[in-house]
Amino acid sequence: MKQGPEVQQLDVSLRASTLVAGGFMGDDPRSVTEVIDTDAGELSRLGVTDKQLAARMKEITQKAAGAQGTWIEIGPDCEAQVDETRGATPCPWRHRGRYFKRVTTVRRKDSGRTVRWSDLNTHMIDAHGFFEGKGSMFRIEPAELVKMLL
Amino acid sequence: MIGETVISVLIVSSIGAALAAVLVVSEHFIANYGECKISINEERDLTVTGGGNLLSLLTTEKIFIPSACGGRGTCGLCKLKVLDGAGTILPTEEPYLSKEERAANVRLSCQIKVKNDLRIQIPKELLSIREYVTRCTKIEDLTHDIKLFRLQLVEPATMDYIPGQYVQLLTPAYDKSPLEVYRAYSIASDPADKGIIDLIIRLVPNGICTTYCFNYLKEGDEVKINGPYGEFRLSTTDAPVVFIAGGSGMAPIKCILHDMKNTGNRREGVYFFGANVVQEMFHLDLMRQFEAELPSFRFVPVVAKPAEGETWDGQTGLVTQAVQRGVKNGALCEAYLCGSPGMIDASIKVLQDLGVTNDRIFYDKFA
Repeated sequence: MKQGPEVQQLDVSLRASTLVAGGFMGDDPRSVTEVIDTDAGELSRLGVTDKQLAARMKEITQKAAGAQGTWIEIGPDCEAQVDETRGATPCPWRHRGRYFKRVTTVRRKDSGRTVRWSDLNTHMIDAHGFFEGKGSMFRIEPAELVKMLL
Repeated sequence: MIGETVISVLIVSSIGAALAAVLVVSEHFIANYGECKISINEERDLTVTGGGNLLSLLTTEKIFIPSACGGRGTCGLCKLKVLDGAGTILPTEEPYLSKEERAANVRLSCQIKVKNDLRIQIPKELLSIREYVTRCTKIEDLTHDIKLFRLQLVEPATMDYIPGQYVQLLTPAYDKSPLEVYRAYSIASDPADKGIIDLIIRLVPNGICTTYCFNYLKEGDEVKINGPYGEFRLSTTDAPVVFIAGGSGMAPIKCILHDMKNTGNRREGVYFFGANVVQEMFHLDLMRQFEAELPSFRFVPVVAKPAEGETWDGQTGLVTQAVQRGVKNGALCEAYLCGSPGMIDASIKVLQDLGVTNDRIFYDKFA
């Protein structure tokens, strides 16, 4: 698939380490458009939208943020923790706004499985349908997220 | 037919190439701003080559304006007054400037491209900030994701700072980050030794500077820092002190406690230190030592919920609950907080309920 210059520039910027160490694409050889389209297809197959997922992520982050870094129950089988560190990151799509370096971790009590996301992850899923490239530190598999949260 | 198509493609390509060449040549001449004069506080003039942003040009001239984002316009820290020559406020600056600041010509120095002469005002205290070449002499694991980095000052060999202040550490370009960036860290060391700067740093997943410090920086390496910065410091009153800080937020409190010991400060004080599990506690022996050496100081470590198999005979629950239980004379106290925004916000509420007035609550928020 051909990419317009803006998308090519975005792709370069997502692979660069200017905003976060290691960038947002990991070692994924696909273009950003392919990553987004493939994940959108997966969500469609699962009958969920990125907006629904992002809304649930925000809800969990908000609930857990009040617990000062401790684990709190967010359902009968799951608990969540919010971890805050210094600073904020802008979105690589280069619009206004910055996202605190806050990481939410959700853990299933039965299996111990975890999934985690940053505030920037939530925003990028919500606004851009971007779950990051495979191999990046904060890549989230849509199916795993759906299984854990919905 | 094919011939015509090829000719058309060639013509369009040639026009495109010619336009690109014109752009490159124009850029060379039009974007050449020549020498520009930056007048600072009407006292000193700098002559710089135009074209760069104000923050980086000042840094090149060894004038250090605080900035946590490396000039990307995302931290909003590098504010200074630009009286003339900066043009209108850019959309990238708007979110960080209040109405009052706009009226006072405050701008984000990283967003201002120097294209002509400028008249700027820099707070006097920032003009005394210097760059220090140091050598990392010790890296110590404090918890699974917090380390202490000891920097021996080389040139200049000592730094005068007020306990509670911070420095900026320069992360050089490395394979996870193509650009140099600065990040701010509170000084944790004993101010009695002016040749040592200890930093307590927590690993930020994907963080450019912390990834460098944790995975690339080695003992013996040269490290550049600049400073000192910041207004966080112990007041000179006699009011009882409540310290609240968890994790790497201990850094400025530790520095202040060293100073209280060195200066024979007899103020009543209590330090509430919160962690999730016992494994996240550190410097407990040092804090017990402060308890023994400071006449009216108590250390209250609080573990939210000890992990399975952990032994803990101290307080449990949230650190704010321990504060609620432990502070009986809130109306008389001053409070000093350092940590995450969530912890600070929760602590402020609790302190207010205990009668501590807002003008007596001082904090260093991680944001």
